[in-house]
Amino acid sequence: MNMADHKRDPVKSSVGNTAGNRRREIAVTVGKERREALVRAKRLCRDDVDNKEMIIDDDNEEEKAVLNSQTCQAVQDLKSCLVYQGKGAVTKKIEALRHLRRLLSKSDVPPVEAAIEAGAVSVLTECLSFGSPDEQLLEAAWCLTNIAAGEPEQTKALLPAVPLLIAHLGEKSSMPVAEQCAWALGNVAGEGEELRNVLLSQGALSPLARMMMSNKVSTARTAAWALSNLIKGPDSKAATGLIRVEGVVDSVVRHLRKADEELATEVAWVVVYLSALSNIATGILVKSDIFQLLVERLATSDNLQLCIPVLRSLGNLLAGDSHITHVLVAGSNITEQVISALIRCLSSEHRVLKKEAAWVLSNVAAGSIAHKHLIFSSEAVPLLLRLLSTAPFDIRKEVAYAIGNLCVAPQEGSGQPNVILEHLVSLVSSGCLPGFISLVRSADTEAARLGLQFLELIGVNLLAVASTRLRENKVMRGMPNGEGPKLVEREDGIDAMERFQFHENGDLRDMANGLVDKYFGEDYGLE
Amino acid sequence: MMVPTTETDTNNNKVLGGRFPFWNPIFRRFLPDSPFFSSGNIERELLAKQENLVVILRLRGGHAWLVNGGERNEGVIYCPIVNCGAKLNSLDGFEDHYHARHTASCSVCSRGYPTSRLLSIHVSEAHDSFFQAKVARGIAMYECLVEGCGLKLKSYKSRQQHLVDGHKFPTSFEFFKKGHLSKKQRQKYQRKRADHKKEESAGMEVDETISNLVSAVSKLSTSDSSPSSVSFGRRHTRGLTFLPRTLQRDRNHNSSLGGEKG
Repeated sequence: MNMADHKRDPVKSSVGNTAGNRRREIAVTVGKERREALVRAKRLCRDDVDNKEMIIDDDNEEEKAVLNSQTCQAVQDLKSCLVYQGKGAVTKKIEALRHLRRLLSKSDVPPVEAAIEAGAVSVLTECLSFGSPDEQLLEAAWCLTNIAAGEPEQTKALLPAVPLLIAHLGEKSSMPVAEQCAWALGNVAGEGEELRNVLLSQGALSPLARMMMSNKVSTARTAAWALSNLIKGPDSKAATGLIRVEGVVDSVVRHLRKADEELATEVAWVVVYLSALSNIATGILVKSDIFQLLVERLATSDNLQLCIPVLRSLGNLLAGDSHITHVLVAGSNITEQVISALIRCLSSEHRVLKKEAAWVLSNVAAGSIAHKHLIFSSEAVPLLLRLLSTAPFDIRKEVAYAIGNLCVAPQEGSGQPNVILEHLVSLVSSGCLPGFISLVRSADTEAARLGLQFLELIGVNLLAVASTRLRENKVMRGMPNGEGPKLVEREDGIDAMERFQFHENGDLRDMANGLVDKYFGEDYGLE
Repeated sequence: MMVPTTETDTNNNKVLGGRFPFWNPIFRRFLPDSPFFSSGNIERELLAKQENLVVILRLRGGHAWLVNGGERNEGVIYCPIVNCGAKLNSLDGFEDHYHARHTASCSVCSRGYPTSRLLSIHVSEAHDSFFQAKVARGIAMYECLVEGCGLKLKSYKSRQQHLVDGHKFPTSFEFFKKGHLSKKQRQKYQRKRADHKKEESAGMEVDETISNLVSAVSKLSTSDSSPSSVSFGRRHTRGLTFLPRTLQRDRNHNSSLGGEKG
């Protein structure tokens, strides 16, 4: 999967080969630089057109100082342009704005603080007044976009401009202006819950929802991105509000069905938040075609950026148990397709996909017995076993959930679980035990607990009728001859459990003691 | 905190007390900000930064706006409406611009508003004497600007206060800024209105042009293919230097439309 693969219309004659190469060059450079940077929900609007200068060296103090004072000057110039009423006033204003915009777009770390201190926000807010020419609105919104992409305090400084930015999302605004305002607002929303609430109470949701329904790709994409920042909660109100806007579900479905991968990616992120936060939204979504479309995308796309939110949306939609039984009827085509798509993700080279696919699979495996059979007989099992032995820790943990869920029937209450012997025997004989024991040994409490719980499953179950398998294949609980414990012992399981007998975590200690006492107590080895 | 004990059942086999946390297959759900999702989130933001550069570089063609992948034309054009001259990136841009600037403006003072609703609120409040009469009688006429709120206030100031208190608007916000037009601009508009009352001469009268274009543009659709020959003509020219093919089809007669004017 290629991260830098942007498929654009090849007929673009204005962006020739050199530009294309340069683009890739810069993308790579930024990629390297940015890997150490903080994760941000905000996006800078950059401009490398002018002066042939590319990225300003962020470490050069002198250059930064120059940039700061230029910015300060630019704001002052803009202020005086606003006062000036004479000939060519409009043009002067726009030129001053453009100059400020360029200063704010040059570097990875634009001189936002200098701009704010010079009073940029109130001056830019004035430039947004109703009736201003489009170019003025656009440049002002662009400046505000980049100011909002800064530190939290800087984003907050944008508040005076917010009502006008929201107003210019209106249906009569020119598209580029509305888009740029959406971009700025997306940055504000990305800052945090407090600002999100301000935007919501000022009515930002409906116009952005309307823009997401646009046929214009860039508009829909920018709006979807801004919306995903706006509804990400933690309060579910906005997500519930969004799903109820007329036409939203249809347009989400339409974009997932037809749109190019970039737009589909942004819309998928909206679905991620809708499905994670709002049960009402999930209920409405599963009634649409969205499930099928998500599965199809996951099954066919090589684009990591798209697959992550698609997979996560699927996971969220499935995570409510009623939804599994309604949507994923075992034996239906869709269920097989889901499992197949998850297998595809498990086989990918990308860590995130493997981990989250294992999580989703573990939820499917938590469903009915029919679901468990389906997974068990698919190509998922060899993959899961291999991952359990070789993958990084976070993936192994999810895989363990999946494997364990395959071995235990759904149940009411908290009594002893109903083991699915066939699955358990087969998995253990295929060698999953060391993986679980290694989890028991790990430093992570949850993982250790998981391992111990699995070990319990394979304890001696004298009431079970053992199938006639070879000694090595018999498992702890399923075999009357005490073979199970011997198997565990051979894998250094006792050692692992004994660690926990003295563990600081009381729960784990009790679990371990219980198991050791039951299966490896004074009667052990006496037959 | 549970204490699993081992008791013996009737067969003298030990069983784990019911308080051992047995494996229970349950559906696990994570909130969006859960650390579980953080590595996936990081992937997204890294690409977003790269993506921005890609978008911006496409501006090299001389376009003023961020370009969308579906644009049909590469040329830069200027709005042909007299006194406008706004720079536009394509036919799509022209259509958008036209709908925004030349159809959603106040017919009295020419201010443009981003939604029809705001436009109508402005017209009522700024230019409607009946509105003012009702206000004078103490009727609550000033609508809250936030769509869906529905509240009406008795004065501009109290509406302002409601926006601040109820919708967290900044105190610096002003819906209607007086003195927007310079004296020169005001004279221009008054002249324009006077001209409109005179008889129309062929072709270059702004209002007729506008009304022709209004009807024609309303027939434009986004799926229209681009004209086969459109010359974008000289920049900064007043009047009409080109007409998209569909407009030419639809206009009825004025042959002087489409001619060049200095």
